[in-house]
Amino acid sequence: MIYLLAGNPNVGKSTFFNFMTQSHVHVGNYSGVTVEKRVHHVKHYEGANLVDLPGTYNVSPSSQDEGIVTYSLLNESYNGVVNIIDSTHLRRNLHLTVQLLELGVPSMLVFNLKDALKNNGYVIDIDKVKDRLKVNAISISARDRQNEDQKQIASEMQNLRITKALELDYDPIIKWGLQRIHDLLRYDVIQVKKKWLALQILEGNEGTFKFLDLVKEEKIREVVKEVEDRIIEAKVAFSLKGAIFNTRREFINNLVEECLIKVEEKEHSKYFNQKIDRIITHPKFGIPIFFIIMLAIYQVSFGTFLGVGNFLTTYFEIGWNDYLVYYLGQALEFLGLTGFMYGLLIDGIMGGIGGILVFLPQIIVLFFMLAVLEGTGYMARVAIVMDRFLSKFGFNGKSIVPIITGFGCTVPAIMATRTIADKKERILTILTIPFISCSARLPIYGIFTSLFFDEYRAIIILGLYLLGIMVTLLSAKFLNLTYFRGSGSKFLLEVPPYRIPQLRTITYQALEKAKRFVKKAGTFILVGSMILWLLSNIGMDGININPEESFLSNIAGFIAPIFNPLGFGDWQATSSLISGVLAKEVVVSSLNILYVGDIAAGFTTLSALTYIVFASLYVPCIATIATIKSETGSLKWTVFSVIYPFVIAYLVALSVNLIFGIFL
Amino acid sequence: MNITDLNKKEVAKIISLSDIDKLFTKRLMDLGIYESATVVMLNKLSSNRLYIIEVDDVEICLRKEDAEKIEVKK
Repeated sequence: MIYLLAGNPNVGKSTFFNFMTQSHVHVGNYSGVTVEKRVHHVKHYEGANLVDLPGTYNVSPSSQDEGIVTYSLLNESYNGVVNIIDSTHLRRNLHLTVQLLELGVPSMLVFNLKDALKNNGYVIDIDKVKDRLKVNAISISARDRQNEDQKQIASEMQNLRITKALELDYDPIIKWGLQRIHDLLRYDVIQVKKKWLALQILEGNEGTFKFLDLVKEEKIREVVKEVEDRIIEAKVAFSLKGAIFNTRREFINNLVEECLIKVEEKEHSKYFNQKIDRIITHPKFGIPIFFIIMLAIYQVSFGTFLGVGNFLTTYFEIGWNDYLVYYLGQALEFLGLTGFMYGLLIDGIMGGIGGILVFLPQIIVLFFMLAVLEGTGYMARVAIVMDRFLSKFGFNGKSIVPIITGFGCTVPAIMATRTIADKKERILTILTIPFISCSARLPIYGIFTSLFFDEYRAIIILGLYLLGIMVTLLSAKFLNLTYFRGSGSKFLLEVPPYRIPQLRTITYQALEKAKRFVKKAGTFILVGSMILWLLSNIGMDGININPEESFLSNIAGFIAPIFNPLGFGDWQATSSLISGVLAKEVVVSSLNILYVGDIAAGFTTLSALTYIVFASLYVPCIATIATIKSETGSLKWTVFSVIYPFVIAYLVALSVNLIFGIFL
Repeated sequence: MNITDLNKKEVAKIISLSDIDKLFTKRLMDLGIYESATVVMLNKLSSNRLYIIEVDDVEICLRKEDAEKIEVKK
């Protein structure tokens, strides 16, 4: 049994999905389109799977992401649809609901955010909803994770009513068009109801043509055109789509009026929002406030004063080096393993992974605090504050989401650009986002700042982040002036109310990032460290040689001179950068291995600075490059995404070397 | 008059969307901004460059140049 889970964006769909399936895991890719869909079995319902579709306002797609919903409804087999609805925004959410009910498949409505609605002084009369729409429905609060709710939903899913398709009273001209298209669809063999399909076609759902090979496509398009002209001529609405929309809006308004019941007079939180908004998005103070908040966050994560993250890392480091590695070394010696094997295990693997894992506490602290910020609704205000600024560089307003995601990991950030409808704007965002400092680059900043700039850690790390942002913006401007000329940017943002974030959600998000970090350490970095150590200890003369004569030294030594102008032209620093393309954290483990734990010996204060600047901007990691390839589908842009950052990183690092060379 | 002419807390009905490209109209519609919708002006930010309005209980932030294209009637 397969059930599709559909709903608007930001209505607690993922919370609901995790709640119903009791999973935090990503299970697998779902066949069909190239985009990932999460599938998991439903608790208390043997043999049933829930498919998490991307959030959408509408069945008809306006971006690639939303096309999946149309595709799934048209081309995949399923037993029912579960529609999750934000109870506090019924009038908007129900547009999708109406479209799903018009399809006439077994459906269930889940009205989420019951508690928030109650706080506003309202309840939903569920019995009336059931009666009016003839579907199963329930009102819940997915955040509370009530066991009874879970059981009731599962049991209702097993007994979904066979629903008759919802029929709204559209304008006679539209009804006429529906009939004409319906007749033309007789030539096609299609799984879904043709009446629904006809309506979607009239609405301008291009997905219907894209995913179905309709025999009479030409004729159908002519009918759509004719209906549109007649609608405008008869002054029913400004467009055909608008006429359909208005009928639905009227139906929804009546429904809401009947089913939404006021139980208590409450002062609306909007005015509270406004007061805070005035300060936080102030034209002069908005940006400084943002930077002060960010600086405080980096100070707590990495700084020494009030530095929770730094404090924890110190103990983590002691535990790792003085206990774990020490006793492991003792054990190996006891077993008689010395020389090559000892070196591989202790210096190679433990040294390589340890160099990364020590940053785990700092990363957890950082992401915990960023998740708090996100949960409060502040990030949407940052988008408002930054809009004027971003638009000057030709960014789409929606780019702010991928940019913020990019601070975590570039790969999901690039995938998040799917919500940008304009293709040019999307590619522009994809190409510039790798400059945003992802969390994998943090260990590099962490190690160098602790060795060379201990007093100014938070400021230098924040500075590197700002540099990344600046290069992103300037690159966007540059590309906009050259290749992507003339793509205008639009800004339309839903402003969420301020909320007190849930501790469980935040902890979960931070731990999820930590888990990914550890997983990477156990796979990519482990293998990378081993290979690197082996290459640096094997040469033409066999094993256990002087590293200066190793294979690695020979290969990297050949390339190294190009970094001489930047001040770090030795083979160790170069090899570390090359291996960093595997995953950025590997730069640190490589440095640890190649300088045998004494990185400070390999750099001057100035070359350390140019090195981190270069490392923060150069070639993206393999995972990112692969994602760029699959998302743009273009070899040209993929190659560009490798060469362009290298050139930029080189130029910026060179400038840093020249400018700071005067002071340092 | 258009949306930017509304004062804070004023309520009006949208009468037309002029000169907005198709794709953006669709996105506006997704959020409920279309003819016959009721809007409330909630806040003007960033030196009257951004407008926060409410449509169908949803708070939405618009740029001045887009808000100006939405005609309303009190």
